[in-house]
Amino acid sequence: MSKSSIIKVENLSKHYLLNKNVVQKSDTLFGSFIGGLKDIKSLTQKKETIDFWALKDISFEIEQGDRVGIIGRNGAGKSTLLKILSRITPPTKGRIEITGRVASLLEVGTGFHGDLSGRENIYLNGSVLGMSKHEIDRKFDEIVAFAEVEQFLDTPVKRYSSGMYVRLAFAVAAHLEPEILIVDEVLAVGDAAFQKKCLGKMNEVSTQDGRTILFVSHHMGAVQKLCNRGLFLEKGQMMDYGGIDPIMKKYMEIGHALSVSTFTFENCLNYRKSRAYFIKVELRDSKGNLCADFPVGDKINLHIHFESASKMEETVVGFGIISSTELPIVTSWAEPENYRQGQNEIVFEIENLYIVPSIYKIAIGISRGNESIDFNTDIVSINVSDIINIPNAHRIVNTNSGILLNQFPYKII
Amino acid sequence: MNKDKIIIDPNLSSYLSIKDILRYKSLLNNLAKRDFLIRYKQALAGILWALIKPLVNVLVFGYISYKISNTGNVAANFAYLASAMLLWQLFANVFNDVSNSIINNSNLFSKVYFPKIVIPLSTILVCLVDFLISLVILIVLFILSGQTIYWHIILAPLFVFLALLNGFGIGLFFATLNVKYRDVKFIVPVLLQLGMYITPVIFSTNFYLDRLPQWLHWLFCLNPMVGAIDGFKYALFGGDSIGNIYYFISSIGVSFLFLFIGLKYFYKFERSFVDYI
Repeated sequence: MSKSSIIKVENLSKHYLLNKNVVQKSDTLFGSFIGGLKDIKSLTQKKETIDFWALKDISFEIEQGDRVGIIGRNGAGKSTLLKILSRITPPTKGRIEITGRVASLLEVGTGFHGDLSGRENIYLNGSVLGMSKHEIDRKFDEIVAFAEVEQFLDTPVKRYSSGMYVRLAFAVAAHLEPEILIVDEVLAVGDAAFQKKCLGKMNEVSTQDGRTILFVSHHMGAVQKLCNRGLFLEKGQMMDYGGIDPIMKKYMEIGHALSVSTFTFENCLNYRKSRAYFIKVELRDSKGNLCADFPVGDKINLHIHFESASKMEETVVGFGIISSTELPIVTSWAEPENYRQGQNEIVFEIENLYIVPSIYKIAIGISRGNESIDFNTDIVSINVSDIINIPNAHRIVNTNSGILLNQFPYKII
Repeated sequence: MNKDKIIIDPNLSSYLSIKDILRYKSLLNNLAKRDFLIRYKQALAGILWALIKPLVNVLVFGYISYKISNTGNVAANFAYLASAMLLWQLFANVFNDVSNSIINNSNLFSKVYFPKIVIPLSTILVCLVDFLISLVILIVLFILSGQTIYWHIILAPLFVFLALLNGFGIGLFFATLNVKYRDVKFIVPVLLQLGMYITPVIFSTNFYLDRLPQWLHWLFCLNPMVGAIDGFKYALFGGDSIGNIYYFISSIGVSFLFLFIGLKYFYKFERSFVDYI
């Protein structure tokens, strides 16, 4: 057998029926009692549902030793694809043939329990990921050394620092020996040094042992470094599949890089799942027109539309700006405010933000107290262009200029 | 290298595969170990609780049963009740824990693939360990009452196994329902409470059959725990523990029917649990 395809996907589709009617959850005990009775009554009625194809007619083949980066915007179907390939959820149509042992890493530390010690968790997590006791025994020392937690092996992991926790979790996963490894965005956690170590480990595993890797990340640098092939998804459809560099270029041109001034949440899987949820986000310029290209320092109006199932008090809406290399630039919160039941709109006026010309993503969130109600990242993006809107600007901007371009007053003495 | 071939397609129906379960043996053990370790962590009395709860039940209901069906030997009366009570508790724990096991572990199977049947199976292991600990009570009462041991005591493990199967089969059915309707969590304890009174736990089957009107006797031939409990009592004490041999056999038949329905229902929806969680 020459270089043969190890994963063969034919006409894969995944369909969801989403409930259109949101059940209005009440805050009061009496209200929820009445709500419960209504729920029972509504069982007999036909529910209005929305058809939603998370994936549509995807076909591709992956050869042994390929490292495939799956790229696409939020809601493109990347995670659904990985979930189907890992047999977590069944497809609606199509067929997949996989030759070899698959391990999926869709989350770091699946099955970790805070009350158990590091040692107990290594065994639990390892077995969740499909390792036998014998396999874990054999790699135990290696895992502990990789995670650098020797002294804390018998401490419950709830007393670990978050860094230690993530290191231990990744260490277990990194010592899996499947023929096919499916990895989703796990590198988003942990510090930079550890991320580098993880990437190195994955690289080593695939190049030395010829293992196949499927990798989803918003971190373009990581994808480019690790993968040799790319699969570009957009709205559940496959846009292109091929060598990583041309795919990346295409994605930058027509996908992500294209600044997006409006985003509606209708097609997102978690739409209407929380008691308040985002409906639409828009970027407008100072004249009120939809716009996604702004000269450095120009005023940007960020309109956030959200709907609430009930009246909300002391609720905080905020947003963040994130660079294309996943570096958070700034976060801004509104004061705790009261919002009405139904539709709400809040406008942030982003002023005096002098950031280096590039593409930036916006993340938005809504929370109350310590509870995060809805959060979304990677929805709209701003293209900050290098027409500099600062009076008397005479200077050269290049990659060494940093992120902020604020100009400070000065005196010559 | 031996290569596994995995086919994924929409119509693939899953089924009970012993091979799959054996492959995930270490997961099964580790899940059971986790549940066991966590249950008694930060509890002063620790594992003693596995003894205290059934002991209180045996003492309270033993007293009631002794007062009502007063028959000579106090210890014998208590031993007789304890055998039924402990087996019922095993069934009740398995039924309740299995029916909650799937939703309680949704964080696992929504991120990693493994045969989901491993989760309820690991639950059984935990309940079985609890039962073995609580057997201490029965053994002590057995010795105190000076019971003779018959040859048919070797049948006892069979009926323990039957009680496990009952809890497992019915529990699987409710575990599947629970994925979509969380009301199950509240219904199960109510069912168990009611169930205890139409099962020969506090009183013997004969006690019930003598007093119940004829048209209610079907409750006894359709109740899967009648076979398990009466069989267990017969294995330990002999005599006329089995009230009615036809009801006894029919009850055991129902046990296997429920197991079949539970497994069938579970496997029908197993693959799409994630989409409903």
